[in-house]
Amino acid sequence: MTAVDGLADDAAVGGDDAARRFPGDPDMWIFVVVESLVFTSYFCIYLYARTQHEQAFLAAQSALTMWVGILETILLLTSSWAIARCVQCTRAGSYAAARQFAFVTAGLGAAFFALKIAEWVHLIRDGYSFGSSDFMQHFFFLTGIHAAHLVIGFVALGVLVYELSDPRRRSHKTIETCSTYWHTVDLFWVVIFAMLYVVR
Amino acid sequence: MHLSAERRLSVAWVVVVTITLIYLVIDGSVDDSDVMRASTVASVAAIGLALIKVRIVMREFMDVRYAPRILRTVTDALVLTMGVFLFGTYLVGRAIA
Repeated sequence: MTAVDGLADDAAVGGDDAARRFPGDPDMWIFVVVESLVFTSYFCIYLYARTQHEQAFLAAQSALTMWVGILETILLLTSSWAIARCVQCTRAGSYAAARQFAFVTAGLGAAFFALKIAEWVHLIRDGYSFGSSDFMQHFFFLTGIHAAHLVIGFVALGVLVYELSDPRRRSHKTIETCSTYWHTVDLFWVVIFAMLYVVR
Repeated sequence: MHLSAERRLSVAWVVVVTITLIYLVIDGSVDDSDVMRASTVASVAAIGLALIKVRIVMREFMDVRYAPRILRTVTDALVLTMGVFLFGTYLVGRAIA
């Protein structure tokens, strides 16, 4: 076991699978797999549609600003790093530091959300909406459903901070489960960003 | 070389952010000034880099690296399945368009 994270590392356990354990609740991992497959199905529909109407998708896609998508991605990736550090600090018993990392995570998530809302407002003011083109329909649906997941992520962060705040409630498993959900929000955005902003 | 868990996380963060910045290079190399152009290479690279980031986030941030074999296998199979369907749909769609 490593001193910092409390989980068995490769060098320590070698091939001993029994020394390893699931990070968080296994049910959350079932959710991760199922949701990933649902999103993948939608991405396939999107990709097929854009190959059949390439020029129309490119014309609508040009309304997006790449650096905004890049910044949003970096914000969420950094929030994933922060929540991972929160879990490490929790396992090490550094609960004050863990809470700080949880608040950093929430702040980065809020910055992402604010930037996303500003992007929506800018697009709508420029005349783009859910029904203005096939691409925009996919854009608003995917970013909207992702934002809904993000809002649920804030609830998970609230549960995590609640757990960290009181020594009687500190369940490492619950904290890891909330962390896994937040990472999943990041994972979906990583692929959504590539689909909407980069794929040509 | 054995990195501490904390440093390992930081290295993973630098890698995924660097991969994200590569998208700017892809974007700049494909388009003519403000005109967006179709590119199979850029699209395949975009999907591939996204899947690499997904695996890094799962392995390093979500602690799959330290998880039982079944979770490591399932998550790798998930990334592989996503890759097969995303690349397959895009390339087949391009071929029959």
